[in-house]
Amino acid sequence: MKIRIRLVLFAMIAASLLSVFVLKNSYAADLSSDQITRIQANCLSIKGSLNQLHASDALLRVNRGQIYESVGTKLMDSFNSRLSNSGLDNKGLVSVANEYQAALTTFRMDYQAYEQQLSATIRIDCTKDPTTFHNALEDARTKRSTVHDDVTHLNQYIDDYRSAVNDFMLNFERVTGKN
Amino acid sequence: MSDETTPATEEQLSFWDEHRFMLLIIGTLVIALVLVSVSIIIYKVSGSAQLDLSRPGYQSVSNKVDRTNLVTDYSAFGPVNKNTVNDFTTIYDSQAAKAKAVDAFNGDPLNPAVLEFSDPTASTE
Repeated sequence: MKIRIRLVLFAMIAASLLSVFVLKNSYAADLSSDQITRIQANCLSIKGSLNQLHASDALLRVNRGQIYESVGTKLMDSFNSRLSNSGLDNKGLVSVANEYQAALTTFRMDYQAYEQQLSATIRIDCTKDPTTFHNALEDARTKRSTVHDDVTHLNQYIDDYRSAVNDFMLNFERVTGKN
Repeated sequence: MSDETTPATEEQLSFWDEHRFMLLIIGTLVIALVLVSVSIIIYKVSGSAQLDLSRPGYQSVSNKVDRTNLVTDYSAFGPVNKNTVNDFTTIYDSQAAKAKAVDAFNGDPLNPAVLEFSDPTASTE
């Protein structure tokens, strides 16, 4: 039994090491000698573009982030609390609000990972090490795409909460018979 | 009687007694360094660093933070009726429109083609 567990562990470690190796080489394989030359030649302008993107994305994170935070805490949570304080059923709304908060946490973490990766990429000397630079850039690109997906999810939950408010209102009017 | 007349200067001071002022300073510096290190770790790990636009490299955008677009608070206390829910939906719709006004982090600015070092032969495939 112990040998079997060891074998499984060994296989898992070997598989993860192999996947890292393959992934690293797949990025490296994408780079032609022409691309390497171009990265080295345009290193300064590429770094300039990355620095600009770094700053503009940071501003976007701050501005979007404060709106998303406020929608969650100042609107969703407050409305849920008001319904709860009045003894009304707010389960549907609380469920969407919780999912929204979870998506917001994911957004924060994914943005942090993306920002750290982009900072690490900018620190790499692309004239000396274009392949490592390219790999790091591809990683940052993937992480930025994940952040965009997170934003899409947040917008979807904002719409879902609005639909949940409509459902609540229909139910509320039906139960209370008020206009 | 003879013990009381022994001068204090003749007392044998231990190493710690002799250097206690220096040790106090070193101890203070060590504690300060530890606390600063912990603060920097928390600053980096918590994600505060990503929101800090006063860092070097962000001067160009630090004055562009939107301070006017504040979300109106909706009170957690009060009656629930059609009017109050309508008030809420009005505020909510307005804020939802603001939140969705920008498709943040869209596009692919890190694409090699955008950064102008893509392989020209790859685009023909």
